[in-house]
Amino acid sequence: MKKAVTTLLLLLPIVAFAYSSPGKPAGYVNDFANIIDAGTKSSIEGKLQALDRASGIQVSVVTVKSLGGDTIENYAVQLFQEWGIGRAKRDTGVLLLVAPNEREVKIEVGYGLEGDLTDIQSGIIIRNIIIPAFKESNYSKGISDATDAIIAIVTKSPEAANYQNSQSSGGSSDTNYAPFIFVIFIVLNFLSIVLGKSKSWWLGGVIGAVIGLVIALIWGFLFVGLTWIAILTIAGLIFDFIVSKHPPSGGRGMWFGGMGGRGSGGFGGFGGGMSGGGGASGRW
Amino acid sequence: MKKTLIVIALIIVVLVIYSWTSYNGLVTLNEAATAQWQQVEAQYQRRVDLIPNLVESVKGAMKQEQTVFTALADARTRYSGAATVSEKAAAAGQVESALGRLLAVVENYPTLKSSDTVQNLMTQLESTENRVSVQRQRYNDAVRTYEVAIKRFPRSVIASIFGFTDINYFEAAPGAENAPQVQF
Repeated sequence: MKKAVTTLLLLLPIVAFAYSSPGKPAGYVNDFANIIDAGTKSSIEGKLQALDRASGIQVSVVTVKSLGGDTIENYAVQLFQEWGIGRAKRDTGVLLLVAPNEREVKIEVGYGLEGDLTDIQSGIIIRNIIIPAFKESNYSKGISDATDAIIAIVTKSPEAANYQNSQSSGGSSDTNYAPFIFVIFIVLNFLSIVLGKSKSWWLGGVIGAVIGLVIALIWGFLFVGLTWIAILTIAGLIFDFIVSKHPPSGGRGMWFGGMGGRGSGGFGGFGGGMSGGGGASGRW
Repeated sequence: MKKTLIVIALIIVVLVIYSWTSYNGLVTLNEAATAQWQQVEAQYQRRVDLIPNLVESVKGAMKQEQTVFTALADARTRYSGAATVSEKAAAAGQVESALGRLLAVVENYPTLKSSDTVQNLMTQLESTENRVSVQRQRYNDAVRTYEVAIKRFPRSVIASIFGFTDINYFEAAPGAENAPQVQF
């Protein structure tokens, strides 16, 4: 018990950095502190959207009213993690965080870009571009020029070239679920034929339960496993019920329609990238 | 008679599945925490590797500060020689405080402070400090998840049967919570 208490006490300094989320991202530029003028904002937004589409690199500009007593370094890591800036697995994200009231700025670089946008380069952008403009309270100029500098550096990244190659050769590695969906599609069609022929609808539930059990054994925890078993049993029952009532017409049994395409244009949310404190910070 | 057999069989099946899934889950959590410590050590190493560059670029102008450099060199040697996790953590704490002293002393040399090389090195060190603290925090988070898993009933029973033991949290050495301050 005593050990538990000391452990808790030792953890307190970490817990004391109270990070509170500024909200959900509405685009690449999130001006919660209202310091960027509208024209600059939409011009940066357009550039960042073009960058994401061309290279899969996601740069987010965020200004906050207050850090709530947190350090800017910790705030940036937490926000980066919450929003998941950059593509998943490749971690191609950059966060430019400005806290005008604390007079602090931080460039947080995702793991995948640490080799391109180095700590030194981030530091130089902050010292030579951001801070001189911010000292004259010209936030729009500082942020806009800094974003241009970041874009110029990250577009030279091998990550950008990889992304372009994978796009032109049809499907990038991190978004290519097509074979997976195809297999599920085949299996479901097969099942719909088999289960549709039998008029009973308990068999689907049993198959669902078995798949759930397999997932439970592979996955780990009983709790997660039981949930899967329950969900899949019910899903199986419903599935069997539907296909038994409306058996697929003809021998091919195309019970499922086509899959919708990916949405295009506009801000589609960030991709789940991670960072680990890389980049630089500065005060003015 | 037959009914009791079925009930017993069912109970055994549930127990086996429970042990199986719990065991696998605990292995996953244990590995996650161990792997996260490797991340912490990677950042420690990065910091240790940066030190010679900083020392080289400031040594010439700071001839009268020999004790700081000696302390730093000692701490570095100790870190390189550390074998166990706790030795490494202790040596890293020493590196941290020696580095903190050096950075504080550099503050007194305005010409050094404004040199591009020194500024860039300071940026790197500052970011590395930040990376260290991020990875430590994630390590403690991973340990917490694992500790909660092995201590909560009934999984605690499985944990003790299969010998899952405590993993230590990272505990900051006294005074180490004052990270070196770098001001430009």
